[in-house]
Amino acid sequence: MKSIVHLIGGEADIGHTRWFWIGLAVAIVLLFFYPTQVSSFRASNVAFYLLNVPLGLGMALLWGYCGVLSFGHVAYFGIAGYLYGIIAGNMPGNPLGPITGMIGGLVGCGLVAAIFGYFVFYARVQKWIIPILTLVFTLLLETFLGQTAGYQWRVGSVLLGGYNGMTGIPWFQLGGLVFEGYAFYYFCLVIVIACYFGLRMLMNSRFGQVTIAIREDELRAELLGYDIRARQAAIFVLSAMLAGLSGLLYVQWGNYITPSQVGLLQAALPVVWTAVGGRTSLLAVVISTLVLNWLTYTLSSQGNQYAMVIIGALLVVTMMFFPRGIVVMLAETIGRRMPRRTRAET
Amino acid sequence: METPIILETCSLNKRFGGVTAAENINFKVRVGELRCMIGPNGAGKSTLFSMLCGIQGADSGQIFIAGREVTRMQAFRRVKLGVGLTFQTNRAFHELSVRENLAIPRAPVKSAGSEAGAARFAYALEVFGLDPKDETRAAELSHNQLQWLEIAMVLAAHPILVLLDEPTAGLASDETSRTAAVLKHLNSTGLTIVVVEHDMAFVKEVAQTVTVLHQGQIFAEGTVAEITSSEQVKSIYLGRA
Repeated sequence: MKSIVHLIGGEADIGHTRWFWIGLAVAIVLLFFYPTQVSSFRASNVAFYLLNVPLGLGMALLWGYCGVLSFGHVAYFGIAGYLYGIIAGNMPGNPLGPITGMIGGLVGCGLVAAIFGYFVFYARVQKWIIPILTLVFTLLLETFLGQTAGYQWRVGSVLLGGYNGMTGIPWFQLGGLVFEGYAFYYFCLVIVIACYFGLRMLMNSRFGQVTIAIREDELRAELLGYDIRARQAAIFVLSAMLAGLSGLLYVQWGNYITPSQVGLLQAALPVVWTAVGGRTSLLAVVISTLVLNWLTYTLSSQGNQYAMVIIGALLVVTMMFFPRGIVVMLAETIGRRMPRRTRAET
Repeated sequence: METPIILETCSLNKRFGGVTAAENINFKVRVGELRCMIGPNGAGKSTLFSMLCGIQGADSGQIFIAGREVTRMQAFRRVKLGVGLTFQTNRAFHELSVRENLAIPRAPVKSAGSEAGAARFAYALEVFGLDPKDETRAAELSHNQLQWLEIAMVLAAHPILVLLDEPTAGLASDETSRTAAVLKHLNSTGLTIVVVEHDMAFVKEVAQTVTVLHQGQIFAEGTVAEITSSEQVKSIYLGRA
């Protein structure tokens, strides 16, 4: 029990005081009660913000904690989403279809990431090339999926649909319980909480410490006995599976997916969320993913054609004035102003 | 019976474009030796170290550690064989705490020598004044504490062969003396140590054997007295050879 408390409360993420934990507990309780006070439409919107969190967390894990920037993690988002659509869509009426689709989607995107990661990390490709390679990969995937219109591009009974996308993707269900409406909101919320605490424990473990050491100095870490290629590849696969998890939730939320989900604009978004919040903190990325998705949705829904320009400007402002991320630097400022005794409570 | 060889190179060569960094390097270090390597700047000392621990590959030649050929072996695998290295510039993990820095080195495999390795690590912590529970960030340590922290990190993996690249760079004379005393004690417990060093007072203090490198080649090898009295060695340091 003591070790679990240590793993959750360790130094790998911001927030260690008693007040922080009280605040976090209140926030979680409020999120659980939120659907009881709003329409299912509003709950569905917030579910959309929540479903993007694993993608942001995967980016924080890979870029912030391991020091490897991927500019194409949405490829795994798309692979998992399409695989879910293909598998679950080919098992209509079968209650095991969605869970098989979930497993298939996660395993599939993990396998593709493992193959990609093997070639990139075992070839010791220089770090500045990796964002380009990952971006090229996702753009190739978008191009491929875009030309899959027509009946010849179907898997079983499911059409890939070209740029029109794959439609009619079923909701997730466990036995007789179908996760739609409010249930889907809670499904996303539980997954987000599990991902956050799971990753917080992982990063506070010895594995996490070694990951941070590799980010700090790859050669030093290797000369302390670590196969950094295997470690980086493992983190790459894990972060890709987190992106895949978001992809799975996305296709269940909208019941469709199009190639634009793996396109340039979507590829840039998780990088923006992570940079704006602060890539070295999981919680900061959770907050920034939720806030920036809300901001994008709000601006877009009010007819503002410049939503993405505003998000881009926010990234530029962050890079110029908050290089470690707005949430992280805000947390540091609050930490410095706290009474000494409260700060020491870790 | 002759003491076994722990480190051996055979005709090791390395070139960077038109520059020869190592040419036909043949040298042997025996178990329990404390060897110093000296030579003018650009003599190839650090390049040789980087080839020995696997940071750079040799163009040709062979490297053996504890009788096993490691010429093409990845660096992390050589560490598992018992090789530890500190760099010319300090490379402790500045963003991590002292505790984390000391905990990062890969836990050594249980072996006959692991008890001795644990004792060496504990000794270094005590003499260098390092606390394995210290949560101070390494970035906040002074230069000498960082140098000692990196030596302790290497010892945490219980190595059998330690390569130290200028461990006293930037240290005050009393800190250099303390480092020398620690290395001599560690060596007295059977640990093989190879040190690249410029500080001749330190070399005279610790070395049993000295290898002189010059223009990528082994120029001379012998005891401290032999090397320091050699007119040829003096001349290369003064730039006459």
